[in-house]
Amino acid sequence: MAKKLDKEQVREALKRKVRQTYEPVKPKVQLGFIHNNVDCIGCRACEMACKDKNGLPPGPRFRRVQYIEGGTFPKVYAYKVNMSCNHCAEPACLPACPTGAIWKREDNGVVDIDSTLCIGCRKCEAACPFGAPQYIPELNIVSKCNMCIDELEAGRKPYCVMACMMRVLDIGPIDQIDKGAYKTTAYSDADKQNIVRQVKNMANPELTNPSIRFVAHEQGKVK
Amino acid sequence: MTLEYEGGAPEMFDLRSDALPGAPKPVDLANFRSLLRGVVRVNTTRRGFLKGLTATAAGLGLLTGLASKPKKAKAFAYEPYPRDDDLETVVTSCAHNCGSRHMLVAHKKGDVIVRLSTDDGRYQKDGYFGKDTEAEPQVRACLRGRSYRLRLYSPERLLYPMMRVGERGEGKFKRVSWDEALSFIAEKMVEIKQKYGPTALLDQSYAGASYGVLHKSDQIEGLLGRFLGMFGCRTSSWSVPSYQGTTFSSRMTFGTIEDGNEDDAFAHSKLIIMWGWNPAYTFHGGNTFYYMRLAKQRGCKFVLVDPQYTDSAAAWDAWWIPIRPNTDAAMLAGMAHYIFTNNLQDQAFIDRFVQGMDEGTMPGWAKAQGFESFKDYILGKSDGVPKTPEWASEICGVPAEDIKKLAHMYATTKPAALKASWAPGRNAYGEQYNRMAAALQAMTGNIGILGGSAEGVGKAFHMPAVAYPYDQFANVWFASIKSDRWAHCVLNYPNVKREEIGLWPRPDNLDGVIPNIKGIFWQGSDWFNQLTNINKEIEAIKKLELVVCMDSTITPSGLWADVLLPVATHFERHDIALPWYKGHYLIHRPKVIEPMGESKTDFQIFTELAYRLGFGPQYNPRATRDYFHNPDSVDEAYLRAFWEREIMHHMGVSMTWEEFKKRGVYKFKLDKPHVAFRDQIEKGIPFNTPSGKIEIFSTTLAQYKDWTKTAYGYPIPAIPKWIEPWEWLGDKEKTKKYPFHLVTPHPRWRTHTIFHNIPWLRETYEQEITINAADAKKLGVRTGDVVEVYNDRGRVVVPVYVTERVMPGVAVLHEGAWMDLDEKGIDRGGNPDFLTLDEPSPAGAFAYNTILVNIRKTTLDHRPGWDSLATARSAVYRRDD
Repeated sequence: MAKKLDKEQVREALKRKVRQTYEPVKPKVQLGFIHNNVDCIGCRACEMACKDKNGLPPGPRFRRVQYIEGGTFPKVYAYKVNMSCNHCAEPACLPACPTGAIWKREDNGVVDIDSTLCIGCRKCEAACPFGAPQYIPELNIVSKCNMCIDELEAGRKPYCVMACMMRVLDIGPIDQIDKGAYKTTAYSDADKQNIVRQVKNMANPELTNPSIRFVAHEQGKVK
Repeated sequence: MTLEYEGGAPEMFDLRSDALPGAPKPVDLANFRSLLRGVVRVNTTRRGFLKGLTATAAGLGLLTGLASKPKKAKAFAYEPYPRDDDLETVVTSCAHNCGSRHMLVAHKKGDVIVRLSTDDGRYQKDGYFGKDTEAEPQVRACLRGRSYRLRLYSPERLLYPMMRVGERGEGKFKRVSWDEALSFIAEKMVEIKQKYGPTALLDQSYAGASYGVLHKSDQIEGLLGRFLGMFGCRTSSWSVPSYQGTTFSSRMTFGTIEDGNEDDAFAHSKLIIMWGWNPAYTFHGGNTFYYMRLAKQRGCKFVLVDPQYTDSAAAWDAWWIPIRPNTDAAMLAGMAHYIFTNNLQDQAFIDRFVQGMDEGTMPGWAKAQGFESFKDYILGKSDGVPKTPEWASEICGVPAEDIKKLAHMYATTKPAALKASWAPGRNAYGEQYNRMAAALQAMTGNIGILGGSAEGVGKAFHMPAVAYPYDQFANVWFASIKSDRWAHCVLNYPNVKREEIGLWPRPDNLDGVIPNIKGIFWQGSDWFNQLTNINKEIEAIKKLELVVCMDSTITPSGLWADVLLPVATHFERHDIALPWYKGHYLIHRPKVIEPMGESKTDFQIFTELAYRLGFGPQYNPRATRDYFHNPDSVDEAYLRAFWEREIMHHMGVSMTWEEFKKRGVYKFKLDKPHVAFRDQIEKGIPFNTPSGKIEIFSTTLAQYKDWTKTAYGYPIPAIPKWIEPWEWLGDKEKTKKYPFHLVTPHPRWRTHTIFHNIPWLRETYEQEITINAADAKKLGVRTGDVVEVYNDRGRVVVPVYVTERVMPGVAVLHEGAWMDLDEKGIDRGGNPDFLTLDEPSPAGAFAYNTILVNIRKTTLDHRPGWDSLATARSAVYRRDD
């Protein structure tokens, strides 16, 4: 499945990669996801919308709703953690890419991947602490969420957000979400005190500074 | 639509994949790549009957020539990737009998749907991107609707008429022409009617292809019923699998099944008791789940009474009360006892609106005949058994303290919604649970007020729903039986008593005549896979002379048919969609693409058959025989007339048909949330019952003398009572052999059997049996182990899922899995209806949740589906630390 790449294109891409590796892109606005772990019913309409939008075969899942449960009968609990690509401030996938296919957008901070440059080496998959890059065997490439960049450019929100039946998933400027200043249905006023950068069993956000926030379940908080 | 053939269709094929000529590929990658690129290419390897055939829906100019050898796909997103705004946008909706209806927006190029999105606020009148208000929320599609493209272009899609060539059920078919298939059916119908009389053809249409106003599958309003009725040979199936207990209860208690509030009313409750209700799975109503979230944000408390800690309990942070299956009526009786003995009932409401709640509200004639009131029963005046919380606790396994606490909460919080869901009614004596719940709703005065609930069935905002002729020929029947007794009737004919099959009484000489069923029609129905006790059905179907299956997909029922007729999906025909259960909006459903293969609409098929049988013009008065080939103008005429007559004139809508077609959606704006029985309570309008009151003591039931002459067959008490079911955990004898109580709820990833074959949805679940960790330890099994679930009626093989979220002693296996028998008759697919009993409750409730089973680890094969598509299980992570 060896793929012929344009050498000139790769050279340019690698220059960009080196630049962005040593001096992380500071986007004008860093967009990120906010997900309410408690109010989410785990219906996975977002996952289906994502599969349809990106035309994915069974196997690769750009967006993954994880079901968490615990306790002992009858004192049990359950919540959902919903994650795709976290469009990190310092993405670990980016320096790992040998062809420079991955780069970060200056305008909105979306970490994008140029699939024509991807050789399917899967190094980004290994580097990402959150499991975002997804290998597509039949195409021998890795692909991932690009926050529906075409929809963003058209002034709309990504398919997953627009699919959410409970209105618990949203995107917005991450700094405003942190302050609770962003107007969204993902959290209520009461939820604002539960907005966290990390939930239990999630990789340390210090690694890459992911652009995602959660309204955490009491049992999901990192103490 | 053009079709290309390479070498013609082979003679004969076996639809079951393990016997296919040419091994099936696990994943048809070429097909997926094509989907990704917006090319439709029917799988040429799987399902032998498609072999050698390349059908390209792109034949209308998009990509002709690519079909047989797709261009090597490039990856998203740098190949030419059509953006939404580059594509043609068509508003339509999902279909099927899920209890809801949501908008789907097709983005298409040529005759190919490239992707689907949903309501984003733009399409309605005065809409804009992002509009999503409490009064006019977006109607966003669920995961099933979003996966629809894979169903439309599925390898299991039925594209041509087929006729059986092997034994029935063997799954061997040959492709035939429409003419051959329809001639065969018409001749057989005439022969059967002449030989066996007007009850020989059984109507098993159901809601699988509803809910369009023109192309409808249904027992009462459906196209098949009118067709067979006009032909003069029809036995209908009167009990509804999903909610017959509830329907009966609501009719007896309130005189109507329209006992529901619109979903926005939930946002006004202070307490919502979800009794066996899991709106995180079933999505009843356009936005029920979302309004419940608003209620939670406004301080509403939630309670879940259910053997399972469902996602609903988690999302709404409910107090979970685990209860033994089938014992709901007992727990509710215990609550009623607490409320009465603590004098917490709303006596003013009872005195004014209720019949038979207590001595004072019993009618004189009933007292004279010695009938007891509900309160007398609860306090044990006649049977000497007070239905105390302690008494109830023994039966239902809920601590008496919890029963009291819940009763207190419910009686003292107002408004409070006791949402008595359908599932606990799908039981032996399920109607008693529903009637008992209605008694509690009435005694607390939570009926007819905003934030309360009388549900029940839950049907709320009512709209006209039939655009084809609904006249004296609609729903004509010559016998009508309980739906899941057909096999019993066929196997025992003529030695069948009328009460055994729930024969509906008639005023003429056909009354009491047992139908001699010789043929079945399935329209929008996968009932062979879905009714109870499938092994008995398998015996019965062998005795039939004609089995016709009309569907867009090759279904497990279809494999048992003689003739398969390919039906156009709702993307391929013109219609208007409306939610049937709750929701006040209408969605235009244009013909988004041309019908694939040779598929036709049900209405086209019945019209053509009617012409062959001599009543074509009467059956479809707007059409000529050309309708079979050109239905568009006739469909348009029916729909326009419906819109103008029923929606504009009758419902007072000012939007014209042309504007509706342009926008694609009409949302009603209600000045206040629709609440059932508001007028009865606020204005004193009588209820539609014999007494004009809420009948906890039912006038109708009290007056039956000979129960065998009723449709029910067996006695039903006039007041709700706890009656011991025939299989439950309290049965000390039966549980020795079969210690687990199996319940079979609706899954989230299918609508009954529909969507079972969708690869994307397959990634989100596995057909598995859920048991408690303590039980798993006893059985020596862990999550992922394959087990056999069995009782005297059947055996199924599934993986096990071990959790703390289900009550010990209870097992959960979702309904709707496609049956897949091995050579010994063991179901490898895990369909629980091999274990259910075809013994409905007297009122007709299917006993889907009245099953005792045992479970053992096995080396038998489990197969997740007919194909071996990826089942990348989305793991549940257990976190103990």
